[in-house]
Amino acid sequence: MTRVDAPQALESRLSALESQHHEAARLIAELQGRDALKTQFLANISHDLRTPLTAIITHAEILRDGILGELTPRQRDSVTSIISGGRQLLEMVGEILTYARGAADQLALTPTELRIADVIGRVRTLNESLVEKKGLTLSVTVADDIPPIHADAEKIAHVLGNLLGNAIDFTPPGGRVWVSARQVGSDGRPSLLIEVGDSGIGIAPEHHDLVFREFAQVDASASRQHHGTGLGLTIARKLVELHGGSIWLESQLGEGSRFFFTIPYRGAPPQHAPPV
Amino acid sequence: MPPDDARTADVAPTWTPPAPPLVLLVEDSALVASALRILFEETGRRVRVAPDVAAAVAACADEPPALMLLDLTLPDGDGLSALAGARARGAAPRVTVAMTGHDDPGTRQRCLAAGCADVLVKPVPARELLRRAAEWLG
Repeated sequence: MTRVDAPQALESRLSALESQHHEAARLIAELQGRDALKTQFLANISHDLRTPLTAIITHAEILRDGILGELTPRQRDSVTSIISGGRQLLEMVGEILTYARGAADQLALTPTELRIADVIGRVRTLNESLVEKKGLTLSVTVADDIPPIHADAEKIAHVLGNLLGNAIDFTPPGGRVWVSARQVGSDGRPSLLIEVGDSGIGIAPEHHDLVFREFAQVDASASRQHHGTGLGLTIARKLVELHGGSIWLESQLGEGSRFFFTIPYRGAPPQHAPPV
Repeated sequence: MPPDDARTADVAPTWTPPAPPLVLLVEDSALVASALRILFEETGRRVRVAPDVAAAVAACADEPPALMLLDLTLPDGDGLSALAGARARGAAPRVTVAMTGHDDPGTRQRCLAAGCADVLVKPVPARELLRRAAEWLG
């Protein structure tokens, strides 16, 4: 290349780069548009799936409850299984809907002053029959001096329910599952720290990031043993982050798992919990 | 026939049993409506089904129901506009309850503000729905 050609060559190179840049920007915009369409499709289809499921479950409950005549015990067992399957499917559809809303930034918080012990109590009650069925021991420890926190009770319950459900799912019969809550951070930025732990199968450290990714289950065979959309922890992370908190885990393969999440107190929290 | 007996026959009121309470199901899914119809008819209520807002307002104008169970997403608009439409015609249901798949607090507040007595997330367990209906229709 001669000195005379150099500016021309540079100009032509610059022009090629600009053109590539525009093409890349166009592709990104197109992909974002398609991703938004996919998210909207997920939200729409999840909503539409609920209607026939509602009909299936309600018709089956009419039969189970003997409204159209008494069933034999085996008929009742069979219909009860239809209802359980339907409710399981409904839960998964709900999870996809929540994920789609989260991906589209359509999830909003409705915070109130809540006592974490109440939320944990509710989630515990919902899971007690499963714990008993698997022969697990569930213990709950909530520090006495935790002040109420400004947070969305339904969404915190969703996160807790997901973590506790996983803990129960991935812990063999006879194992231990626990939930604890305490206040941490004394440097003027206090948070609520909640732990959900289990003595179950554990997760290898190299998979710790993977579990929070959408549609991921660490072991492909796990999806055959443990039902789920693979969205639970992705949604849990989204809901915790919406509150300004973070979520992580400590675990080794074969040594159980401990999931932690924090919810920061907004402004100065009350120094002491009001009398119960 | 002696006069006395005739007089008695003239003044005796003709007693007809009160009609069972009317439940109006505003629901565009025929499958869901059929389940709810069985549930209420088998427990002694009369049932009418309206698949959209216009049919719901017309049904209320024809006979205001004791209970209107209202789906929120209807082919011709927001379910709550059926309640507003019935009120505008002076034919409001005695009790209106929203039944919806949207379980977010915003939807709940919107329904209560519009005059619904309660907001239930579908599918409401059959027994639970009957227990609550007994309270609303009580």
